[in-house]
Amino acid sequence: MMLPALILLAALSLVPFITLIVMSFSEVKLMGGIRFDNVGAENWRRLLTDADVRASWEISLVYFALTLGIEMALGIAIALVVHRVTWGRNLLLALVIVPMFMAPIVVGLLGRFLTDSTLGLYAWVLRCAGFEGDLLAGKTSALLTVVGLDVWEWTPLIALVTFAGVSAVPAPLLEAAAVDGAGYFQTLRYIVFPSIRRVLLVALLVRAMDAIRFFDIITITTNGGPADATKIIPVRLYETAFRFRQLGYASCIGLVMLAFSILMANAFVRVLGDKGLTR
Amino acid sequence: MSAVPLRRRLDRLSASLLAAALAIVVLVWTLAPIAWMVVSSVKPTAAIKTASPTWFFEPTLEHYQDLIGAGNDVRPFAKNSLVAAGLSTALAVTLGALGGYGLAHWHHRSKRHLAFWIISTRMAPIAAVILPLFILFRQLGLIDSLLGLTLAYLSFNLPFAIWLMSAFFADVPPSLEEAARVDGCTRWQAFWHVVLPTTTPGLVTTAVLCLVFSWNDYAFASSFSGPGSQTLPMAAGRLITQGGVDWGQLTALGTLIVLPMVFAGLAVRRWLVTGLTLGAVTGE
Repeated sequence: MMLPALILLAALSLVPFITLIVMSFSEVKLMGGIRFDNVGAENWRRLLTDADVRASWEISLVYFALTLGIEMALGIAIALVVHRVTWGRNLLLALVIVPMFMAPIVVGLLGRFLTDSTLGLYAWVLRCAGFEGDLLAGKTSALLTVVGLDVWEWTPLIALVTFAGVSAVPAPLLEAAAVDGAGYFQTLRYIVFPSIRRVLLVALLVRAMDAIRFFDIITITTNGGPADATKIIPVRLYETAFRFRQLGYASCIGLVMLAFSILMANAFVRVLGDKGLTR
Repeated sequence: MSAVPLRRRLDRLSASLLAAALAIVVLVWTLAPIAWMVVSSVKPTAAIKTASPTWFFEPTLEHYQDLIGAGNDVRPFAKNSLVAAGLSTALAVTLGALGGYGLAHWHHRSKRHLAFWIISTRMAPIAAVILPLFILFRQLGLIDSLLGLTLAYLSFNLPFAIWLMSAFFADVPPSLEEAARVDGCTRWQAFWHVVLPTTTPGLVTTAVLCLVFSWNDYAFASSFSGPGSQTLPMAAGRLITQGGVDWGQLTALGTLIVLPMVFAGLAVRRWLVTGLTLGAVTGE
């Protein structure tokens, strides 16, 4: 019964994967029929010394660290707040998770709308607080803005998963802590966090894998600018392939990205351990 | 309750008040942009273009009418979005249910490798997947076709559906199927009449998430579609690149893209945690 699914999956994953590897050793010509000219390891040699790609990886690391760090911290905090609320908790949680169903492209457009220096709602709030100017025009403020949009869309996912973990902490454990006179933060530190460690790790891994997948928000807001300040690695790849038409070289960048996400997938399968699928 | 000292009760009261206050802050943060988008979509253009926000205005549907107006009709885009996202969802769920069922009942040393392959395919960076698909689709004449877009969406929806359905099937007690087999069902009958109905929530959740992922796609669509196969997110992306943005139309279109997926997503809220963590965490 697995067969049809696995055959299609192979066609959709192995064939492109092999194509990508071949492309990384070629100069890909699109004009007058597709042609691969073998250039040996030239693309790979270029990758090793390409300062632009290196800079993009560095921005990506900053971007990932900021988005994942803020999303984890904020997501856990929101989950704990929602957990403490007694009245209307289900409705509250439902409303909190709305942003994560939104198309990233709409999130990006909404970000531009809200920060537009002539008519944006958030630009107006900032102006009242004494900050003038276009958020997407400055290098640091542009990076922080795209981080903020990603955080806005995906923190709810962390909050939702963490909330499930917190709700599953056995009540007797919490009661025992209360009887022993543990305060709120002591209970968190010694009871709640140790029991949701695995859940938090899963949430982080799922987010980390998606963080390198999506780049729509940046494409539509800054498209990597100003002055490459937000040019994370998928944006760089896309530009190399479709603006500069260097598909072979872009494939090298793509394979390195793929290696990154495969490491993450490996960690995910490990965390699952003997549960469920890998049983 | 009278046994609880007054101080403890006061502490508890102030803690719940603090939680409520923080909850309101969180709600404002998550919902304000969406609310502002929806409100702006029914504002007259003059009321949108004010430097400080306009709170009172005569609501209008003109921006929604513009979206189906001559020269800028988004209905073909909506149809393309529905076909590509719907078709890839239907195929992913059908094949994913079969594949996931097989996977859940398959016990072999190499299962870990198979699981690893499936999850790696699901998590492959979109930008890296676009490159070979672009070449392959050009060769096969699948550029600017809804079939090509459907296949591109299957590249992430199919591994997702196999994996997730397998997690749902793993929770069905084996005794259920054994009983059916004892009663004379074939393996297929046991699957179709006994096991599958118990995983209806799993099927629906998988379908909804596949639909959301593909409906929301922009990167694949903007790389592979042409004039005949553009999707709604592409229509939104195009509105902003034309000089001078029509924010009324854009917020209206954004609302139309977002609302169906929000309702679909919230409809399967109970199983979302399972779905979004690919079965690694079970909710409630």
